[in-house]
Amino acid sequence: MLNYALLVHGAPYSHQAALSALRFADTVVTSGHRLVSVFFYHDGVHNASALMSPPQDEVHLAEGWQRLHQDYGTQLLVCIAAGLRRGLLSADEANRHGLASHNVEAPFELTGIGQLVDAMLNNDRLITFAP
Amino acid sequence: MTSVHVSDIEPQDVLIVLRHPPHGSHWLREGIDVALVAAAFGQRVGLLFQGDGVYALLEGQQSGALGQKGTHPQLAMLEMYDIDSLWVSAAALSERGLSVDELMLPVKPLSAEAVAELIQAQPHTLIF
Amino acid sequence: MLLHLLNRSPQSTAVYRDLGEAFGVNDQLLLIEDACYAALPAASGVLAAFGGRISVLEEDLVSRGLAGRVSPAITVVDMKGFLALTETHERCVSWF
Repeated sequence: MLNYALLVHGAPYSHQAALSALRFADTVVTSGHRLVSVFFYHDGVHNASALMSPPQDEVHLAEGWQRLHQDYGTQLLVCIAAGLRRGLLSADEANRHGLASHNVEAPFELTGIGQLVDAMLNNDRLITFAP
Repeated sequence: MTSVHVSDIEPQDVLIVLRHPPHGSHWLREGIDVALVAAAFGQRVGLLFQGDGVYALLEGQQSGALGQKGTHPQLAMLEMYDIDSLWVSAAALSERGLSVDELMLPVKPLSAEAVAELIQAQPHTLIF
Repeated sequence: MLLHLLNRSPQSTAVYRDLGEAFGVNDQLLLIEDACYAALPAASGVLAAFGGRISVLEEDLVSRGLAGRVSPAITVVDMKGFLALTETHERCVSWF
């Protein structure tokens, strides 16, 4: 059994990257490995939007990520610097910035790039999916 | 231009490969951010400028329209973070008509063979 | 020994060139997403640097209508095969 982490740079429904990453994630966890964390960076932060509303006949990426957390305990880490710039805010961050609404909710967590460095150093594999 | 020999390459903890030019996208900026944070976490960090990433090293860069920040202020901070293992693809430079003397940082040019060797030697590599 | 993941069409020649420079003698290349088009025989020129150590992801081929068009020098792998490549290679770098 290996510990995996993923780095996702691709925005949902713009490029295949997020789909490829979710598909690979499912393969990791159903093959006896552990998917410790997924770090969303660059445009990948949009995967964390609680307002994502794809048509019913398309895969719901945010729900797919949440399912990994619920079923396998995978941490869903969103880069706070990349997220804030692009309008991805938790309730706490929205308060801090005086904004009326937010769109990042647990199990997604806004966190620093240090968590990406940590994921790279402390897992057996880090696999990147970029647009 | 004399390229660095393979045997001169000292492995780092983390190698960040920068392949994108400044201003046109956020790749370069977000890649350098990872390098700075990794260094702040006590990792030995090396940078390889490859492809259009070599344009990050041009002298005379400025902020863009509407105050768009460039990456040159970030690169100026590398020394403060003890990031001094800086390499550049010699082929990428010559394809673009550039030489190491006109770049803003003291980077070591690597032959194609040395680029492959560099990437093989690093325990962790991220490409931006 | 690295696994290189590549997702760009063979028309994106710059990324193939940079990857070619970084590719080690024992490395493996896995083509996914739009890099599947590089698995067509007509694109073999861009893969010359990779010494036949090339795989392509089956489901991305099939979705693009390329299943019967792959160059015989390239190994077709499914998702389990993709995972297996990441198991046998300690490090994986992604080019885009």
